[in-house]
Amino acid sequence: MEVRGVAAGRPLGRDGLTRSSVWIWEEIRMHDDDFISTGVTRRTFLAGVGGAVALSVAGTSAQAAAGKEAPQLAALVKDGKLPPLAERLPQNPLVIKPFEKIGTYGGTLRRGLRGSSDHNGILRMVGNQGLVRWNMDFTQVLPNLAEKWEVSADATQFTFHLLKGAKWSDGHPFTADDVVFAIEDVVKNKELYSATPAQISVAGKPVTVEKVDDYTVKFTFAAANALYLENLATPLGQHPTLFAKHYCSKFLPKYNTNLDADVKAAGVSSWTELFRAKCGDIEIPSRWGNVDKPTLDPWIVKEAYSGGATRVLMVRNPYFWQVDTEGNQLPYVDEINFGISQDVESLMLNVISGKVDIQERHISTLANKPTLSQNMQKGDYRLLQLVPSAAQQCQLYLNMTHKDPAMRKMFADKSFRQALSIGINRQEIIDIIYFGQSEGYQTGPRPGHPWHHEKLGRQFTEYDPDKASAMLDKVGFDKKNGSGIRLRPDGQPVFFAVDVIPTLYPDLVDVLELVKAHWAQIGIDMKVNTIERALYYTRGDDNAHDAQVWPGPGGLDPMLDPRDYFAFHPQGSRYAIPWTLWYTSNGQKGEEPPESQKKRMKLFDEARSTADLNKRGAIMKQIFDLAAEDFETIGVCLAVGGFGVIRNNLRNVPEKQPDSWSWPNPGPALPQQFTFTS
Amino acid sequence: MLKFVVKRLFWMIPSLFAVSFLAFVLIQLPPGDFVTTYIATLASSNEVVDQNTAAQLRERFGLDQPMLVQYLKWIWGIVTRGDFGLSFEWQQPVSGLIWERMALTLVLALASLIATWALALPIGVYSAVKKYSIGDYAFTAFTFFGLSIPSFLLALVLMYVAAVEFGQDVGGLFSSQYETAPWSIGKMYDLLTHLWLPVAILAVSSTASLIRVMRANMLDELPKPYVTTARAKGLSEFRLLVKYPLRIALNPFISTIAWLLPNLISGSVVVAIVLNLPTAAPLLLQSLMAQDMYLAGAFVLLICALTLIGSLISDILLALVDPRIRLE
Repeated sequence: MEVRGVAAGRPLGRDGLTRSSVWIWEEIRMHDDDFISTGVTRRTFLAGVGGAVALSVAGTSAQAAAGKEAPQLAALVKDGKLPPLAERLPQNPLVIKPFEKIGTYGGTLRRGLRGSSDHNGILRMVGNQGLVRWNMDFTQVLPNLAEKWEVSADATQFTFHLLKGAKWSDGHPFTADDVVFAIEDVVKNKELYSATPAQISVAGKPVTVEKVDDYTVKFTFAAANALYLENLATPLGQHPTLFAKHYCSKFLPKYNTNLDADVKAAGVSSWTELFRAKCGDIEIPSRWGNVDKPTLDPWIVKEAYSGGATRVLMVRNPYFWQVDTEGNQLPYVDEINFGISQDVESLMLNVISGKVDIQERHISTLANKPTLSQNMQKGDYRLLQLVPSAAQQCQLYLNMTHKDPAMRKMFADKSFRQALSIGINRQEIIDIIYFGQSEGYQTGPRPGHPWHHEKLGRQFTEYDPDKASAMLDKVGFDKKNGSGIRLRPDGQPVFFAVDVIPTLYPDLVDVLELVKAHWAQIGIDMKVNTIERALYYTRGDDNAHDAQVWPGPGGLDPMLDPRDYFAFHPQGSRYAIPWTLWYTSNGQKGEEPPESQKKRMKLFDEARSTADLNKRGAIMKQIFDLAAEDFETIGVCLAVGGFGVIRNNLRNVPEKQPDSWSWPNPGPALPQQFTFTS
Repeated sequence: MLKFVVKRLFWMIPSLFAVSFLAFVLIQLPPGDFVTTYIATLASSNEVVDQNTAAQLRERFGLDQPMLVQYLKWIWGIVTRGDFGLSFEWQQPVSGLIWERMALTLVLALASLIATWALALPIGVYSAVKKYSIGDYAFTAFTFFGLSIPSFLLALVLMYVAAVEFGQDVGGLFSSQYETAPWSIGKMYDLLTHLWLPVAILAVSSTASLIRVMRANMLDELPKPYVTTARAKGLSEFRLLVKYPLRIALNPFISTIAWLLPNLISGSVVVAIVLNLPTAAPLLLQSLMAQDMYLAGAFVLLICALTLIGSLISDILLALVDPRIRLE
């Protein structure tokens, strides 16, 4: 699926658009093999930008007018309750090539949500209408509400040209004023956002957005922000298109002098509360709680997501600004009905009895796979395969900055970590727990990714308990106590606890039980510490853990989450939280990391501001080299893919999709072009 | 009598304060707070919160203040304005969230209560009077089954059979076309067609246990001399049963009213979650899991108030029904 330049009458080819840093992993060849195999190799970023500018935008209104619209909307137009289609669509609407075929209008798409904190389940399906979007393969950033853009050579200025004539769901035009309002008046408002979201804050300063003309906006950053387009395509990049000025300005003191009275009338305690209730934010429930809020989404809220809701109903947006290749206005599907299940098991029951049209969220655990496969006929669905974007299924983080000096010394010893790694029988774990669906792996971009690093990925994955014992003997753990457990130089037995959250990752508990048995054979005593998730986070934040496990990200998106390549993420790089604090606070907080870490931090900052993809790759390789040398984290096996179901009468759905928050599946597969066959 | 009621009502005030404080402390006891739980929940779907947002959320919700300050603010809002606070998760007033679900909760609780009593009382009496008859054995067998099958398991099995074998719409209390429709005859009928399953499931175990209690109570009373006297006076067997031993055997039922009221909210949590019922119980569990403090606190407070009121009511009723009991 790709965007066509309509007027030019040719597909927007390989060089026509900017390349993302996030490359394809060999297996995500989903649709256009030719496109992927030749198109996604190292290509320069800036050359692409020039091509995008050349895209012509003239003369497609005639084509749009010839297109069709949903029967209900046509009836409304006939009754004079809605302007005709040509007036609702942009002059040059965004053309989407359907995944399989041109669809037919109609139908209600059913999907499930969990009872609590599941607003992102709606976001993933409906709310992905940013300035730019991902392509199907998670490799490239495509035009969306911005039909083209230019990036300055130093990657500090981004100029976006908006779709002319696109409209909010209430018919009000979407213009540069809305984008400027969203960033300058809303996101940069200190009362609403006491800290500016990290994405639009570079070198400690927030972005500046200026209106060039009605349909052109310029974003200026304080320093290079080469990854901005990719970030803009992720959910956290939706701010510029989230707030309609004509509606949301009513809830800002700057535009509404009478706001205090409105706040009182609404019975809330402050204007910021009122603003959030009315206009929402990227990922809070109230984004889907106000039926009056204008949006740019394909479907708009009819029955809101609130504490008492048992379902969320969304109906088509008559002003949606995308059409298919024959000029038919999208979306094809009339409504989306999100049923709210309190319990995941009852959601599963609905899935296998065919009462859900597409679902992967909440049901994609290994334990469910046999049940889902067995009931394919009865439920009349096919399986959807998710390609993990993570690198590692079970990353073990030994706390190298432990508060206890003796433990710290032990974990900081590289040979100790290497010995533990080759003391794990990975094949047994893969066979027993993952049904043979994986391979031994440490960390780093997945095999097939252009940045895949063999040493970082495969070193010390062989099982060799004798060698492990010899290594441990050599580094001073050569004495054992009565029960065969090695003693540390200070005479204490080698013992530590590994924290794991059984409710989130039941498979990791099983993995750890096996690892515990493997390590017992080389004289290491480990406790599988199953704890509640909030406690897990608290222990990590306080640096009070011995060791913790978590799936290791960065398999397909190494630039977006490099937590396992150096101490990057204060809630993720669990082998050295104090080092991450040092990094994120520019040396103000935390603990000073060793040289190799500091070098990697510097290199990553450099990579982040490097626009040229080849150069960026070269810098990242240096980071991978250093990370492989230092061997900080121990991995078990490559992340295993999840799965979901698609009802057989729902078409235009790719059956293989990346599974990621940056590519918020299934949103970038464009649910607006999903269609039902009778 | 009036003096007793006033005195009891007066004592409720300090007990409620004590309980509300205890509830607040208990809800805060688990490690972390709403924000950590929220981040962890999102992380389970591989979703992240902007790193600058977490601290900002704590500040907005006042979670960075000492617990005592948070408590006093909350209780002050309740006492002065009747304001139970805002649910962190939904950003909606807590009282609205709870009331929204109370009507259906009441319907379900009353329906299953009536079903339970209507079945359990006659069967219990029958079992006691016809002790060791075939009917008694049959009911005893049923009651032991009813007591030993966990109701959530029964719910899951029935749902599976209904959904997979018969293709019926299970879970929830309404079909999708009526879910948000205004009340009408059609909607009432739709509710009734959905209500029988949860009512049956909820009634099974409580019916079973009530039958046992009723049977045992009656067996205690039946051999007593006053029964023999009444029979000697020539009362018909039915009148005799209803007039004397049944009244006394009912005492334990009346004392259970004390926990019937709080059960409206907290009873049958698991069944309500499995069956996806729009009642208060799932919301209560959700608020506890998410550490949504004010919502959970309001629930606990409500449950306590209902327990206190319930025990008052059952005390008064006991005094009315059983002349041996004095309210002193």
